[in-house]
Amino acid sequence: MPPLHIGMLGAGGIARAHLPGWLALGARVSVYTVDGSARKLAAEYAESGHAVTAADDLGGLLAGVTAVDICTPTPTHRELALAAVAAGRHVVCEKPLALTARDAEEIAAAAVASGVRLHPAHVVRYFPAYAALRTAVARGDLGELAVLRFTRGGARPQWAPWFGDPAQSGGVIMDLMIHDIDIARWLAGDVIRVHARTRGVEHATRTPAEVVTATAVLTHASGAVSHINGLWGLPDQRFRTTFRVAGADGLLHHDSTAVPGFRITAQGVRAANEGIPTSPMTESPFLAELRDFVASWRLGGPEPRVSTRDGVEAVRIAEAAVESSRTGRVIEIEEAAR
Amino acid sequence: MKVAVLSFAHVHAAGYLRLLSRMPGVEVIGSDPDQDLAAPGEVRGRALADEVGVAYAPTYEEAFAWGPDAVIVCSENARHRPLVERAALHGVSVLCEKPLAASVADGEAMVEACRAAGVRLAVAFPVRFSPAYAAVKAAVASGEAGRVLAVSGANNGSMPNRARRWFAEPELSGGGALMDHTVHIADLLDDLFGDARPVEVYAQTNNLLHADEVAVETAGLVSVTYSDGAVATIDCSWSHPRSHHSWGGLELTVVGERATLEMDAFDQKVHGFDERRGRGTELPFGADLDELMLRAFLYGPEEGGIDVADGEGGLRTLRVVAAAYASAESGAPVAVG
Repeated sequence: MPPLHIGMLGAGGIARAHLPGWLALGARVSVYTVDGSARKLAAEYAESGHAVTAADDLGGLLAGVTAVDICTPTPTHRELALAAVAAGRHVVCEKPLALTARDAEEIAAAAVASGVRLHPAHVVRYFPAYAALRTAVARGDLGELAVLRFTRGGARPQWAPWFGDPAQSGGVIMDLMIHDIDIARWLAGDVIRVHARTRGVEHATRTPAEVVTATAVLTHASGAVSHINGLWGLPDQRFRTTFRVAGADGLLHHDSTAVPGFRITAQGVRAANEGIPTSPMTESPFLAELRDFVASWRLGGPEPRVSTRDGVEAVRIAEAAVESSRTGRVIEIEEAAR
Repeated sequence: MKVAVLSFAHVHAAGYLRLLSRMPGVEVIGSDPDQDLAAPGEVRGRALADEVGVAYAPTYEEAFAWGPDAVIVCSENARHRPLVERAALHGVSVLCEKPLAASVADGEAMVEACRAAGVRLAVAFPVRFSPAYAAVKAAVASGEAGRVLAVSGANNGSMPNRARRWFAEPELSGGGALMDHTVHIADLLDDLFGDARPVEVYAQTNNLLHADEVAVETAGLVSVTYSDGAVATIDCSWSHPRSHHSWGGLELTVVGERATLEMDAFDQKVHGFDERRGRGTELPFGADLDELMLRAFLYGPEEGGIDVADGEGGLRTLRVVAAAYASAESGAPVAVG
């Protein structure tokens, strides 16, 4: 395979999470943004000798790269993905693939028609605790799954205002809980019924202390039920994810804050936000994810852990949850739509 | 103070007998004549009374003739009503095991019988006596947590039918895990939310756990919407493995506008491993919630402390369960009757 050249669209938080992964895979990265932030990011990396440059022209960028990595705000995913697919480029797209299942399906169909890969970046499948859970479930260690619980919460994202606008981010369900919606479906299969409620301030006014939380009950075709709980909380809400998965033959549970492997117990002052980021004790899940995607680009390469359909279905379930939360009704997901 | 425990059908009967027999100034007897529905091997009646070391009355007539000041009803859920009505008839204060009854109709009749007789009816919800719950309540009541937006709770235990078979026999229990385990958290929220009342319930259940053994639901998720908009989602499943060294637990997360609170009612424990038995072990060191509940029932609440749930409260939580069954059946949210 020729050397990887990645067109990275966007230079925000998720771009910064992906970039070291691409460099570890030996890729050259060209960053494109509409607000000039690409230059700043490229300069930061170029200073330390990395092959990161800023691109000024999207058309020119698409003509020259192996693949694009869409790390922009959700409302722009559709247009950018369709342009990349039309240029014959593989696409890695940050979750959610789109704000509606309809848009996600359109992107997916375009990728199929162009013969390129479309990878929804559901990175939680590459977090080691979740990967270990899935391996055990797939091996049958828990028997048939009956009831699954997932929580995910942290301080409300303040670094980019679009997160606080449900019209752009889809809100806490579409942006945050979609991670666990995908994991629930990965473990217990397709979802047929959704009920959800959202509470708190959905549309952030950028006053810091605004909380929004949502709860969703998913019913799987197997009869299993999943509780998904999401929280964009107060500024000092420590980021934490948990799961508890019970089947006929056993139980697995995990709390991301309970066994960090390493923790800082004092640093002189109480840090705002998370303070010193704790070092991961394993390979970066972002690197593992990108490597898995790249491997599938070879002729006859393995299928990645996350398929295009997985990304579409996650959006479909999240969209149903948003709809349920808005209307107060239960949303049935017809088999024909899945 | 003379206290009679009526029926040993519920697993809690032995614990109440032990606690009461150790309380200074309390005389206790047990009575368990209706053992017709017990499974072979369940220790009941005089054998259980002897094991615990308390006096035994072979019939309920004799138990009431003994002149108790209070009775504790530990019969199967569907058999609470006749014993509570009997206590009302004798004018004796009654603490009824949870849930109040197996049906709302029975629960209403019991509340009415006690009201008409001027008899105090209390329902056995020990978790409200947890110091962890008291801390949650204090944070909410003082306003420090802000308005409560959402609650997520789990009351998971192992399926109780090995100790007492009737728990999974719907004609006696009224149902499975949904009936057994929704009410504890529903009761905490009944107390925590004050005047806000449950208005709508959505529930989904399955019996994928122990499917080969029982027909009732063994897993369930219940979302309750309250009149102030708060939403609580409760996992009531019997999803705790039966071979686990503990019985299960009760956890609650409360998201308020100004604080997020978490409680675990039963994790004040030293955890370890027992090499001789080849399994995990634990040493609970927290408050004995049953004891605190019995004291409040017999002597009234401590200064500033919480009181036992009354019959009306027990009936409200039972209505949540009834709506949950209707919702699980229809697949749609159901208004609380």
